[in-house]
Amino acid sequence: MRKLLYVLPLLAALVLAGCGKQESDLPVNTRLGGDFTLTDQNGEPFQAEKLKGQVSILFFGYTHCPDICPAVLAQVAQVYRHLEEEGVADQVQPVFITFDPERDTAAHLKEYLPWFKADMIGLTGSLEQIREVAKQYGVVFIKDKEADEQGYLFTHSDYIYLLDDQARVRKLYPADFKVDEVVADVESLL
Amino acid sequence: MLNRFCKTACQVAALAAALGAGVANADVSISGGWLRAVPPVSPTMAGYLTVTNNGETSVKITGARSDIAGHTMLHSMKTLDDGTRKMGHLHHIMLAPGDSFSLTPGGDHLMLMKLQRVPQLGESVTVCLLQAEGDALCSALPVRREAPEES
Repeated sequence: MRKLLYVLPLLAALVLAGCGKQESDLPVNTRLGGDFTLTDQNGEPFQAEKLKGQVSILFFGYTHCPDICPAVLAQVAQVYRHLEEEGVADQVQPVFITFDPERDTAAHLKEYLPWFKADMIGLTGSLEQIREVAKQYGVVFIKDKEADEQGYLFTHSDYIYLLDDQARVRKLYPADFKVDEVVADVESLL
Repeated sequence: MLNRFCKTACQVAALAAALGAGVANADVSISGGWLRAVPPVSPTMAGYLTVTNNGETSVKITGARSDIAGHTMLHSMKTLDDGTRKMGHLHHIMLAPGDSFSLTPGGDHLMLMKLQRVPQLGESVTVCLLQAEGDALCSALPVRREAPEES
């Protein structure tokens, strides 16, 4: 009987651990991220605080970018569709931050992003605000000097950031990330 | 006589249509071409393909054009030492006999700028590669969300 008194709490603890949420193995990146205020595609202020309470897939780019940025947007939309099929998309928020506020106004982002059908938030702001956020995420973007009548391009880094429900960076992916890998990582954070 | 002529003309037209995704030059072929679908308000879009020189002399591709774009360019993509990616004008592509050159997502690519209209998913758009000597090499590229499996 005394043995049972010892064993029962242990069993209860094991059962509860099994039923509870599994901690993700993804480490918290304490060097990247932080508070910021930008403007969303509706022209409303958007604080980083709003990213809390859901998992976010955050990335930087610009809509005049012909190759990498549309490819990343399409890939993120693919991740979102997978999560929709799993019934968990409402817990996930894709976020696109432009580093070309001159052309990517809130109004332009509002027209551009819905086509990807991924419930994406588009963020723009002053160049100073965007530089500050880019610095927080270790993003490099340099406006090319070779601008001509065809417009200008950017030399830029192209990482994608996975944020947990505390808006902490948990993983970085290259632009040609594997959709299945991101889906699995997102699910590990839900 | 007229019927025979029409029949032959139709056969030629059918053959030309069948080769629509191919090229108007026996010595140079374009394969695996596609354009990445973009939102209707997009000012630019990218294209990808492989061009192969099947002939016995070198071929120099000097540029590209498309009727739907105000300006079409061959673009290079370089990864710099700090990991950033830089695009630039790819001035030409030299193809020795038997050589192929691929324009791929995340790599060198076709850039269509000043789009007069944004083609829709599933549509085909004619894009021509310009040669230093000889006719332009034209191919109908389908607009797709993702790369075809084989490319």
